[in-house]
Amino acid sequence: MKMEDDMLESVLWMAHEIQARVAELGRAISNDFDGRSFVVLGVATGAFMFVADLVRHISLPLQVDFVRVQSYGNNTKTSGVATIGTDCKIDLKDKHVIVVEDIIDTGITLAKLVNHLESKGATSVSVCVLLDKVFRRVVPLKLSGSGKCYVGFECPDYFVVGYGMDFAERFRSLPCIGVLKPEVYQQ
Amino acid sequence: MFVADLVRHISLPLQVDFVRVQSYGNNTKTSGVATIGTDCKIDLKDKHVIVVEDIIDTGITLAKLVNHLESKGATSVSVCVLLDKVFRRVVPLKLSGSGKCYVGFECPDYFVVGYGMDFAERFRSLPCIGVLKPEVYQQ
Repeated sequence: MKMEDDMLESVLWMAHEIQARVAELGRAISNDFDGRSFVVLGVATGAFMFVADLVRHISLPLQVDFVRVQSYGNNTKTSGVATIGTDCKIDLKDKHVIVVEDIIDTGITLAKLVNHLESKGATSVSVCVLLDKVFRRVVPLKLSGSGKCYVGFECPDYFVVGYGMDFAERFRSLPCIGVLKPEVYQQ
Repeated sequence: MFVADLVRHISLPLQVDFVRVQSYGNNTKTSGVATIGTDCKIDLKDKHVIVVEDIIDTGITLAKLVNHLESKGATSVSVCVLLDKVFRRVVPLKLSGSGKCYVGFECPDYFVVGYGMDFAERFRSLPCIGVLKPEVYQQ
């Protein structure tokens, strides 16, 4: 039991539900990428927990790295401007890349990142996202080469926290995903 | 991987961030030179910081990082490390303020991989920790 649980109005996905879905995603990726070397590229900081669990369910050899992309600031809505803050250390030229994101909202950030990875010479860019806010999409999901798309759950139009996802850098360590009580936003 | 699992076992509210520090390159021995590549996003001034490391070897990298965090105004700097290669220590473990030290396991003097730790960016996704066959280093 965590102290931060008291600040949740509702839990959308419990820890065991998330773990089961992550295992399924890992198996799907293992089936699709067998025989190819690839890089799992997590988007920091929000995807750190998802990446850690996902890669343990992928049975193939893989490399892991992270990029930092900023879009939200300390608000609950995307600013619409996405900047790639920290680039990855691994050379992505001629590699298959799987971008791992915690959540897709408008799609602006992801589109910018996929373009960036294409410019670095990646052979293909796939996307594995835990939560998809389909109703808020402004820019269609764009892959590259033979890239595939993997989605954990469709997410209703709430601002969610937990399992790596934050509000003002808090709540990342919750093992579940939920919606904050409105009074938390006033703090 | 260690951070993701550790924080789920901490019952208190906390913030999480990452720094990138380079020392090994693509070798199995530390180069002795530690550079803080990517700084953290959170303002650490007047905060208690727990640095979470996969492994401490000579201690050079960690000492540099602790100094860096002190210079950023952290109230205290604690360290939580999964593996401690005590026999290879060159620089003593240094904390700051009321900082505490947490060690997972003492590690024998092998180059280890798994549970987030790599050799040339490979093997990070293994859920266990182990020693590579010598022929892997020749590849």
